Amino acid sequence: MNETIFGAGSMTGNGIVFGQVTHTYRPQRGRPVLALDGVSLEVKEREFVALLGPSGCGKSTLLYLLGGFMPIESGTITVGGKAVTAPGPDRGIVFQNYSLFPWKTVKQNVLYGLEKQRKPKAEREQRAQELIELVHLKGFEDSYPSQLSGGMKQRVAIARTLAIDPVTLLMDEPFGALDAQTRTLMHEELLAIMRRTPKTCVFVTHDVREAVYLADRVAVMTSRPGRIKEIVDTKPSNGISRADYINTPEFTEKVDYLWNLVRDEAIRAQEAH
Amino acid sequence: MERVNSLWKRRFLRSSSIVVLAVAWEWGARMHFVSDFLLPSLSSVLIRLWDDVISGEILTGLGLTLLRTLAGFSMAAVAGIIIGVTIARFRAVRWFFDPIVSIGNPLPKIAFLPIFILWFGVFDWSKIAMVAFSAVFPVIVATWAATENVDKFMLWSAESLGCTRRQMLWQIILPASMPEVFTGLQIALPVSLIVVIICEMTMGGEGLGGTMMTSMRFADSPGVFSGIVAIAIVGSLVVKFMEIVRHRLLVWHQESNV
Repeated sequence: MNETIFGAGSMTGNGIVFGQVTHTYRPQRGRPVLALDGVSLEVKEREFVALLGPSGCGKSTLLYLLGGFMPIESGTITVGGKAVTAPGPDRGIVFQNYSLFPWKTVKQNVLYGLEKQRKPKAEREQRAQELIELVHLKGFEDSYPSQLSGGMKQRVAIARTLAIDPVTLLMDEPFGALDAQTRTLMHEELLAIMRRTPKTCVFVTHDVREAVYLADRVAVMTSRPGRIKEIVDTKPSNGISRADYINTPEFTEKVDYLWNLVRDEAIRAQEAH
Repeated sequence: MERVNSLWKRRFLRSSSIVVLAVAWEWGARMHFVSDFLLPSLSSVLIRLWDDVISGEILTGLGLTLLRTLAGFSMAAVAGIIIGVTIARFRAVRWFFDPIVSIGNPLPKIAFLPIFILWFGVFDWSKIAMVAFSAVFPVIVATWAATENVDKFMLWSAESLGCTRRQMLWQIILPASMPEVFTGLQIALPVSLIVVIICEMTMGGEGLGGTMMTSMRFADSPGVFSGIVAIAIVGSLVVKFMEIVRHRLLVWHQESNV
């Protein structure tokens, strides 16, 4: 049905449309669990949307479906009007545990996607160098991931994904494994990167402050089965910078409001266990 | 200079128990707690070993033993990696090999020796086949486990960066599995040495194991002990060599950065 409404060149541009996505998780043992139940959501081009919810609400599953890593059983997901069927370089993804190629150096990791695009060697080298500098890893080109800290590894992962210049950026709790200070620095860095290379971004998190700080809109999901409970606009209303935003009453109110929404779901999720 | 000295000191301390054992051996033999026949002194064994090295006798035997070991080990390595990878990837291959591996892995492979002699004769091939058959299982098991358990998110990352399913094996799965596969090889190598010596001892003829049995029959105990010392030295050198290769090959792996 979305084919006709959101066909190529529609008003959504390179946006993302989830239409009635339902997904059942089938463990090898035990009975199937309904993970996502009729999720519909629209993400506009260059919009930063955070998926917020308690653990086990299916927010990561929704992201993996968008990535094309798992078959969509029911409903549709389109990116730029095209239905998602498989992973593709138009949707770059960053996972929580970095998932770097440990046998490759920082530079070789960043080069991997570029080599697949068959660009001329000089161009690849230049682009890789630019991205390594963008994420402040100059001087670590020849280091192996095992020699880097968690924050540095995640910066490599971001550079590797941005190198192929994806239209949309999918992030699966990318800063969840980092300590609080590193996480704050990474937030600032991510916003700076997004200013320089604007992209449509879907960001999965269970951290309310992180969601409000980074996203234009936050979609709160219910505990299992995951549905969209409410979508909250989190853009600073008077156009102030994100760094200033964090100290405004508006920011605190939004965090408070969202926290109450998530809290109810987290309690329900615990009771269900 | 200080650091170099302390490095040598540490190395010496680490192997000092060997020195203690050697001194105890020499002292015990000289005190004649037991007869020279039962325990010849270490010095007489080393002199014997040196004579055999000079005459070239031990080198031909040792060379042959090593050749058989490495031939069988290489066959096991290649076959084990291929079988392990295909088990993890193809359902039909798994159906075929899964029960065979579960029975064959814990089986004392040496039980097949009479059959292998029948099939391959009493010369090199039966011994090489025996080594390959014994050493292949640890390689299969390690490769199977490693290639099957490559991190899902790493595979997904590669896929989303443009890696095709055909490229996945060579570009992602095999390099990611290298540390565990190498561990399998490091288990298989001493197994190969053990099996080759047992085969040579049972079948006789050329090779270190056979020579040691001949020495025993002629009541030449320094000859037996010099064989033990020779294989101990060569065995530890071969294992050490594998460790060095591992370090070179897996510089990226965590263990190298500790």
